[in-house]
Order: sequence, then structure tokens, then C-alpha cells
Amino acid sequence: MTVADRATEMDPIVLEVLWNRLLSVTNEQQAALIRTAFSTILRESQDLACGAFDTRGNMIAQSETGTPGHINSMATGMRHFLDAYPAGTLAPGDVLLTNDPWMTAGQINDITIATPIFRKTAQGEQLVAYFANTCHMADIGGRLLSAEASEVYEEGLYIPIMKLFMRGERNEELFKIIRGNVRVPDEVEGDLYAMTACNDVGGARLIEFMDEFEMESIQPLADAIIARSEQAMREAISRIPDGVYENELWSDGFEGPVVIKAKVTVDGDELTVDHAGSSAQSRYGINSVLNYTHAYTSFAIKAAISPEVPHNEGAFRPVHVTAPEGTILNPRRPAPVAARHVIGHFLPNLIFGALAPVLPDRLMAEGAGSLWSTVFRGERANGEGWVLTLFQCGGTGARPTKDGLDNVGFPSGVAGVPVEVIENLTTLVMSRREIKIDSGGAGRYRGGCGQTTGFRNTSGKLWSFSGMYDRTKFPAKGLLGGKEGALGGLELSTGEEAAPKRRILMEPTAEMTSWLPGGGGYHNPFEREPAQVLRDVAYGYVSVEAAEQEYGVKINCSRRPDERISVPEHYRIDEDATRKLRARVGTS
Amino acid sequence: MTMSYRVGVDIGGTFTDLILVDDESGAFTVGKSLTTPNDPSQAVEDVLRDALERAQVSPERLATIIHGTTLVTNSIIERKGSKTALLTTKGFRDAVEIGREMRYELYDLFLEMPRPLAPRYLRLEVDERVLATGEVVQAPNHDDLEPLVRELQDKGIEAIAISFLHSYANSDHERGVAELIGRVAPEMRISLSSEVVPEIREFERTSTTVANVYVQDRVDRYLRGLERRLRELGFGGQLFVMLSSGGVGTIDTATRFPIRLLESGPAAGALATAYYGQLTGVNDLMSFDMGGTTAKLCVIEKGAPLTANDFEVDRVYRFKRGSGLPVKVPVIEMIEIGAGGGSIARIDALGLLKVGPDSAGSEPGPVCYGRGGTEPTVTDADLILGYLDPAFFLGGKMQLDLDATERAIKEKVADKLGVGVPEAAWGIHQIVNESMANAARVHAIERGKDARSFPLFTFGGAGPVHGFRVAEALHAPAMIAPFGAGVTSTVGFLSAPLQFDFVRTSYGRLDELDWAAVARIFDDMEASGREILLASGVAEGEISYARSVDARYIGQGYEIRVPVPAGRLTAESRAEVVAAFDQVYEQLYGRTGPSVGLEVMSWRLVVSGPRPELRLQVGAADAGGPEQARKGERRVYHPEYRGYHPTPVYDRYRLAPGATFEGPAIVEERESTVVIGPKGRVAIDEFRNLRVEM
Repeated sequence: MTVADRATEMDPIVLEVLWNRLLSVTNEQQAALIRTAFSTILRESQDLACGAFDTRGNMIAQSETGTPGHINSMATGMRHFLDAYPAGTLAPGDVLLTNDPWMTAGQINDITIATPIFRKTAQGEQLVAYFANTCHMADIGGRLLSAEASEVYEEGLYIPIMKLFMRGERNEELFKIIRGNVRVPDEVEGDLYAMTACNDVGGARLIEFMDEFEMESIQPLADAIIARSEQAMREAISRIPDGVYENELWSDGFEGPVVIKAKVTVDGDELTVDHAGSSAQSRYGINSVLNYTHAYTSFAIKAAISPEVPHNEGAFRPVHVTAPEGTILNPRRPAPVAARHVIGHFLPNLIFGALAPVLPDRLMAEGAGSLWSTVFRGERANGEGWVLTLFQCGGTGARPTKDGLDNVGFPSGVAGVPVEVIENLTTLVMSRREIKIDSGGAGRYRGGCGQTTGFRNTSGKLWSFSGMYDRTKFPAKGLLGGKEGALGGLELSTGEEAAPKRRILMEPTAEMTSWLPGGGGYHNPFEREPAQVLRDVAYGYVSVEAAEQEYGVKINCSRRPDERISVPEHYRIDEDATRKLRARVGTS
Repeated sequence: MTMSYRVGVDIGGTFTDLILVDDESGAFTVGKSLTTPNDPSQAVEDVLRDALERAQVSPERLATIIHGTTLVTNSIIERKGSKTALLTTKGFRDAVEIGREMRYELYDLFLEMPRPLAPRYLRLEVDERVLATGEVVQAPNHDDLEPLVRELQDKGIEAIAISFLHSYANSDHERGVAELIGRVAPEMRISLSSEVVPEIREFERTSTTVANVYVQDRVDRYLRGLERRLRELGFGGQLFVMLSSGGVGTIDTATRFPIRLLESGPAAGALATAYYGQLTGVNDLMSFDMGGTTAKLCVIEKGAPLTANDFEVDRVYRFKRGSGLPVKVPVIEMIEIGAGGGSIARIDALGLLKVGPDSAGSEPGPVCYGRGGTEPTVTDADLILGYLDPAFFLGGKMQLDLDATERAIKEKVADKLGVGVPEAAWGIHQIVNESMANAARVHAIERGKDARSFPLFTFGGAGPVHGFRVAEALHAPAMIAPFGAGVTSTVGFLSAPLQFDFVRTSYGRLDELDWAAVARIFDDMEASGREILLASGVAEGEISYARSVDARYIGQGYEIRVPVPAGRLTAESRAEVVAAFDQVYEQLYGRTGPSVGLEVMSWRLVVSGPRPELRLQVGAADAGGPEQARKGERRVYHPEYRGYHPTPVYDRYRLAPGATFEGPAIVEERESTVVIGPKGRVAIDEFRNLRVEM
């Protein structure tokens, strides 16, 4: 009996062995992608997703990191590739791509590359799987990544599902069109190569592993993986009490505040999230296509109730996501969508808020939510242009048993870019990157802090930046008694007003400073251990004043004016005053 | 009296192991003693004294002692380093805490980030600024800094790391401030990022520099103390330390750059594998060291382990990349897997059998130890399968409880899966072997190697028990179990050359390079290396230099390491570098990239002394063929027989070179047991290593 035969019965031990093998293949795929990528957005920030799919287009494994908006939208978008190019129309060496926002990752900058994997058999070449990845391109033409467009056509070059390589040969015409439309053709072409190569690496490893286990098809394995995962998800849903749980969340929006709503219905082992009642679609690019809305909604459910099971198609099946057409969470073509993450990243906060009353020990308070992205543009003294896309993170919400994380992305999984890399690639100079005191929302567990960063330009030329910043008007709310986090903001050295979602032209010597929002707290701050408050003060996360006002902890500081270094020994809790402060509020 | 003896000592978590070798005759003595955590040099002295006595050798006859220690790793994990401050560029004291702003696990809402070694209140900013080009925008004001340094001194700060932006391009400010501190506070430990790791990316560079100075005092005091102790014993030779790169360094280098000792113990295991490979003419191998809680795998190619430049220490999630403090030092590239003999088996939420990463450790240990362990482990499964003899564990020093083990596996695994105890035990055994094989495959493939071509070299307590089946899963051609698996890593110490790594970051496009400047960089690094080696007693003619460059396509973010030709570098050298790059890149990623040209980031040099000759004399006085070595037979589980099968048991010490036999077989020695499946063909080589053809 071969292993493949045993796989049909899917002995749990064999399944465990094969499943792990598949997961390690997608990790190799991602490693190859990052190591060969060109743009900072890919190689440093890792704004990407990598996954393996069965021949029906079901995602069966994803790499360990990446960003949920890409992973899930790639997973649910794969069927469009299969519709456009049914198996019979594909040959070994073919590579497909698209950046259709409605079908894939909701933004024209994100290209998905899908590669059919063929295996030589006695019957000829057989299609056995697909490997795909979704990556944010350094540029896609149009008006640069920004929220300011009024139609998707302005946002850049649209690529319907088509072939990038045909039987191993470059689609020269398509490469010419792409190169001719983007501001940084070498980076974009290099990244397309990296995206192609990493699928090849994944495919080659899959073939080796099929040969080794004498598998004719991966379908029995795929079915078993999906069935087990779906089962686990259903069991997790069943543990939530049946009912309807609602929440709403306000964001700055563009032309005016935006509300997004969720009605979560738990019915046995099925869960439905309906976003009816959310704001109408915006005239600007902050609209989140349904596929992207689905991605972050389903991510939130998975992280909330079943984080330990590897992610695949099975996790989607018992979760249903709907949003009325024409709303900001399901816009109609040709709505502008480039900054869809600004809204989409709030979805986990929204869902957690709805479920918190029934899962009080499992979820986090609201955090900065939306990643702060900026596209900087400028030129060197010699006139040569540069473009840099930068992601920055504020604080995450506090957890029921732990503080929030300072300046860590959530729900996005992307990374920042080192100052030294920024300054090597552009003519920008950063003035600071520091944790912002008192920005984390107070609570028994404190929200994560935001950061303050600043930029100037050294080339003596005009420069610009296009921010996609939120939570400058609506702070991250705390949960179950926790307080809200600090707002984010933006300031120019010229004193001019700076809109958080517009391209801003800068004089050569002008500087910009931004401070990112903090996360909300969890539980009543007056229940926080005074020793924890003391530590936060000594470390400079919380000021002496905030300790008293927000936490009811009176801290005396014995630091002399001539001392430049403050150490924990300088701070002492005034026990009496603290007792009084906390009692006063307790009785009021 | 000739100084013909050399000593290798490895201080592990539990045991301090030693080997004493006479390089003239090849005669050797091994020693083992419990590690003395409060003063690890105590155990070194004890075990050395004992070995010298048994071998009847006087300490004056020791030429060199080479030493490996986990002190650095432990100091960081246990946070037992110096009270350390960090000086940064104004505005960037939090760079080391903000890090890369990225979650290393997507779905876990409760994850935590690693804590920097220098707390926020001891991270102080200096008003200075250098640009990416090295151009100075703001010079530090030393008059202003002097009182700050005094204040640090007054507050009991013992160590200062200095890490300014772009110091890899211009280190003047770091050096100036260091001089000032040296003048004001001569007792202060100081590390400069431009010396510890002169490379771009401030988070990683700063993290490494802080770690370096954080452990410096402890390492310095320990090594000086050890040296003193050895001198008092009458040792007049040279004391060297094993580096994580696989070379050995002097005490002076080790105390300047203690962070380079980070993985010195495991490095020795990889080197031992390389040594056995050279001895037996097998230059490509995969080392497989499996102990109680973890296993380590390493590819040995052309007689040398692969090296890398990134490492993480003190991971919050022990085996999760991204959850630890980044450390950029040359390290032997190993992959560590959270599975060993003590790893616990359980049924997870999906109804699947999982093994590890939680471990029963040595206390309470596996169920079979009878010390209160209740969770079934890999060792328990090995016992059920007949791989271990309940009466001959650790050479009979410890009795194993078979009944309790059966009960635990039945209750916790077999009943839940609806299978019998032997099948459940085989499942545990197989899953752990698969994790090893998976890790080995990813590890090999990430480096463009094919795991199927490497014989598996197994050691550590559990390595030889699992090696055969891991080799089978990898489709490896053979498995090798060295003689004396218990002291294998100490052999590695004695086979390592004296070696130093140098690096200079110097960014440029390959087609615009000033090759005269590159030649100067190498001349400079070569001169520094030569000086150290000459001072350590290596003859000029025996020094070798290996040059390489980290290069990439223009615009990429990660480099690959490519060899640089020896001799005079000129514009002609460019073509050679390009050819080498294409070859390495294609091997790694299957295709070359777009035609955009190459850029170089760092020039590297490894300066080495000669590889020491090491030939161990393995006597085989009362050994012979398999008949003579056969000590019995027991029922052992082999899936090929769908269950237990009578299997001969051999005494390792009585198998002489040239002996051959077929599997299935069990070969027992004191520290370990070699399990051989039915398809294996065994031969004992001239050095008494056991080689199984698969």
C-alpha cells in the first residue's frame, strides 16, 4: 500500500506528516520571494501573501507571515483565475496575473500572480496544483498611491487576468506596457520576476514531495486538510452562544466621517457578518471592495476563535460576509479604491467590539487599526526621481490579560522600513522615530503606544508626500472600562494645515512631523497594579500627571533638576494619596 | 618535554565534556562532569584534573585548550548581563524597541514582542547626525556629554553601547564619543556598533551592539578567571575559545566581541561532523544532533559547515523567527527544531497527533524515568518500540518503567486515536522524525542544497535512535553514527582552525566600483587578520584568506554571498564576480533575475590558520565481528514487519573495524543506541564509526 492510498483514508498520522510538509513548502515560497524582491515595500515591509491551492482553486496552505488582507483576498480571488483560464487552456510554463481590485486585493497596486503547477506522468503533463502570491507593487502608474482619485481609472494601470509568461516565454508586449506605465520600471519588473520565481520554487518542492509519497493527486490531502479545518472552525463557532451581536465604528473618512457597522449572527456552527448600515461608498479612494471586506472580516473571526489551526479554505466555509452594494464596504465599479486599507483595517476592531461581550477573555480593544501609509516622492540634486512607500504602525489595543503592543501593526502584518534604508534610497532624512508618551489608552491593561516620526529633504528640491492616515478624529476605544487611545496627527514646519489623506507639496526646506494613534485600554484603569503604573512612568510610557489622572496612582519623583537621566529609583508611589484617589472614584 | 597534548572542553547546560588528545600518538581520554553553574570554570578544572590524572599527563604538556560555552546565550536569556546604557542619535533611542513593527504570528492576539536589553530610561540620545553618504550634519558636543557620562557612572551603569545612524559609513562620531567615555569613565565597558557589526539597518546593528556590551563583563571575568585557574594548575599553553562562526579565537577577541561566542557549543557539533567527514572522505554531510529538548541540523559542504550572518537570541516563541532579539554575527547555519527525546505527544483540537515543542525536560522527564512524568514523550515511544532497553539505559545506570509508559501512551494517545499502543508509539516516532526531515529539507533548500544527497551524521543522546528513519525520510544515501557519540562535539573543538571574520560595508554599483579602493579594503582586513594570527603563533605561510562579497541585483534588499578572486583586484575582476553571482543566484532561485546590473554591500574576509591535524587512536583490543559483539536479541518494532520482530542486539565496543552485518539490528553503547531498520546494511569503518547504507 502506498502512502497515497493511505492518504485517501487519511490516517491522522499520515495527514499530520503531509500537512506539515505542505506548510513548509509555502514558507520556502515566501523566503524565496523576499530574498529576490526589489522594492522596499516587498522586501522590507513584506506587504505580501503566499499560498498553495488545489486544482479547484481552494487555498490549502499559506506561508507563516504576510498580511491578512492579501492572504484572504488571494484565497477567495483564485476562482476568477480558474474561470478566466480553465485547466485545459493552461500549459507548463504559463504564469497568470491580474490586479483587478474587485477580484483580488482591492487595490490596483496589488498584483496577484498565479502559476499552474504541472507534473510529468505517464499520461503526459498533469495540472496538480496552483501556487499564488499577492504583492504590493512599488508603483502602478496613475496618480501614485493615494486616496484622492475619484475613479479607479485614475489610480493606475489595470491588468485583466492574463499571461505574464507563456510556456516559459516572457509576454514581451505586456512587459512593455507595464514598464511604460510605471515610474520605477526596474523595481516593478524585478518584483514580477521575484513573484514568478517564488511560485516556481513552491511548485518544484510540491512535485518532489508528491514523488516521494507516490501521490497521483493532492486532492485527497487537500480535502482532508479543508475538512479538518472547517470542522475545527465550526466547533469554535459552536462555542459562541447563539445570538446577534452588533457594533459600529467611526473613522475620519475623506469627505466626512464614515461609520462601518457589523451585525454578527451566530447560529449553531455558522456565523454571518452583515455590514448593512455602513456609510455609502465614498467619492474618494477609501472604498473597500467586498473581497477585501470579506478578507478582514473572516480574518477577525479566525483570530478571535480559532487562531491555532493552520489557515486555509476550511476556515472560510462556515463564515459568511455580506455588505449592501454601493456602501463603503462593497463599492460599485468604477469607485476609487486605492486606500481601501484605511477602512478595511478597522474591520477586526469592529468585529471584536461586537463579540467582546460574549468572548470577554479572548479579544483586544481597538487599536490604531489602519496602517499609516505614506508615498513620498522627490528628486536627487541631479534631477533623478525617487518614490518611497512607507508603512508605519501605531499601538494595538490592550488584551484582557496583557498590555497592547507599542507600534506594531494590527491587523496588517507588514513591517516598517529601517531609517538607514530610507535614507540610502531617497534624499529624505528622518528627524525622529520615538514612542509617544501617554498615547496608549489607560486600562487595567494599557493600550499600545503610538510613535512620533519626522521627515525632511536634503536635495534642495521640491518634494511631496501623500498620506493615508486615519484616527485623527476618532480615537481607538477601550473595552470593558478601558479608556481610549490618543489620536494621531500631522504637522508641517510651515504651519500650514495638512490634510491627512491628500498629497502635500513641500518646499525644499519644509519638514513634516506625524504622530500615530495609540491603542485603547482594557478594563478600568483604576484596577491597574500601581507597580505597573510606576514602571510605565519610570520607562517613560506614561507621565506622572497621567498616572494620577488616568490611573489614580500618585507618583512622587525625586529627580534633581541637574540630573539628566531618570531611573526607576527616582519614582515612588505615594500609597496614601493613591488610596484616596482610587477610593474617591470608586465611591462616586 | 614536548607540548603535544590538546584539550577540547564543552560546557553544556547539564554536563561539562572534555577530550584530551595526544597529537603524536592519537591516544585520547574523555571526561564528563556535572556543570557548575555558579562558576563554570570549576567544572572545567575538575574534569581536566581528572582526565590528566587518568592519562598520566602533566599540565605542562598541554599545548592548547579550546573551550566552548553557553555563557553568552544564558546571560542574555536570564538577563544576567551588566547594567547597560545605549547612546543613540538624537530622535532614535526607540529604534531598538520599535524594531520592524511587525507581528511574527498573524492570528495570535496575545503575542508579545522581545524586550530590548537596554531599558528605555537608559537609552540616551546624543545630538549628532551623519547622513547615508557619511556626510556630517551635526557633530556631537563633547563638553555636553562629559557630565552625562559622569552621571551614568554615578548611577551604577557598567556598560555603554554606542550606535549612531549610518556609523557603518562614517564611524568618527562613535569613536569620538567612545574616547570621551574611556577618558571620563575608564572602568566602563564600551561597544561601538561600527566595530561590532558595521552594516546597514539600525535595529539589527544596535540590538547586536547592546547584546555585545551587555555580556562583555561577565564573559571577560569568566574567561580571565578560567585562564588564571588553568595557569595555577600549571598550564603554560594557549587558551582559545570556540566562536559561533566555527573558527576559534583568542581570549582577547572573545572579550572584545563576546557576542561572537553566542552559539559556540552547537558550532562544535557541526565541526565534529565536518571532521569525521574529512577523516572518512565524505565531504558533504548533514549533521543531526538530537538531545532531550531540541535537535539541530546543519549542512556540511565540501568539508565545512555553511555559515550565515543572522541569528536571534531569547525568542519569546522559542522556534518562531522574528520573536527574538536580532543578532548579526557570523554563525554556523543551523536549524533548531523544538523536538527531542523529552518532547511531549498529545492529540490536538483537530484530532491529530502532535509532538512537541513542549518538553518534559529532565525533571520530571519522560514517564519511563519514573520521576513523576505523566505525559508521554518521544523517549517513552522509543521504549515501547523496543529501541531502548529498560535495563540498559545510560549503560544500565538507570532503570526504565515500561508499565507506566504503556499506560500513559494508551490513555493519552492510543485510545484517543483508536489505535493500539505500539501503533501510537510508532506514530509518535514517525512524526518526530518527519519534523526533523522537514526542517532538514527546508534548511537545505533555503541554501540551494538537496538534502537527498547528504549522508546523515547522527549524534546526541537521541540522534542515533532516530537517525535511520530520518535518513530514510530524507532519502539520504546513508546514516553514520560516530564512535563515542557522547563526546562528539568536543572533537569539533580540536578540529577547528584559528579563524577571524572581517566585514566592511561599502555600497556601490559593481560597474562603477573603484577597484583600487576595494583592494585597499582587503589589504587592510588582511593585515589585521595576519597580525592577530601571527601573534597567536601561526606561521606566515600557513595563513589563508577567503574573500567574499555580499552582492545583489540593483534595487534588491537581500544579498547573496559570492566568492571574490584572490590576488590583485582590478577592473578585470568584475567579470569573475558577475559569473560567480549568476551561478549562486540560479542555484538558489532557479533562474537569474532581470538584467539590471549588480550592486555590492559588504566585503568579507575570513582569515584562518591551518586546520589542525587530529587523528584519534581508537583501539579495538577485544572487538571482532558481529558474532563476537552480539549480546542478545529483543523484540523491536519495525513497520516493515507490521509490528515487533526479533532483532539482534550488538555491543558497540566489541564491533571491530571491518565488521559488517544486515538490519534489522540494535547497537548499544553507553550514551546512546543505534537503531537500524531491516533494509539497512551496516559496516564498521577503520575509525570504528558505524555506517549504514540505506
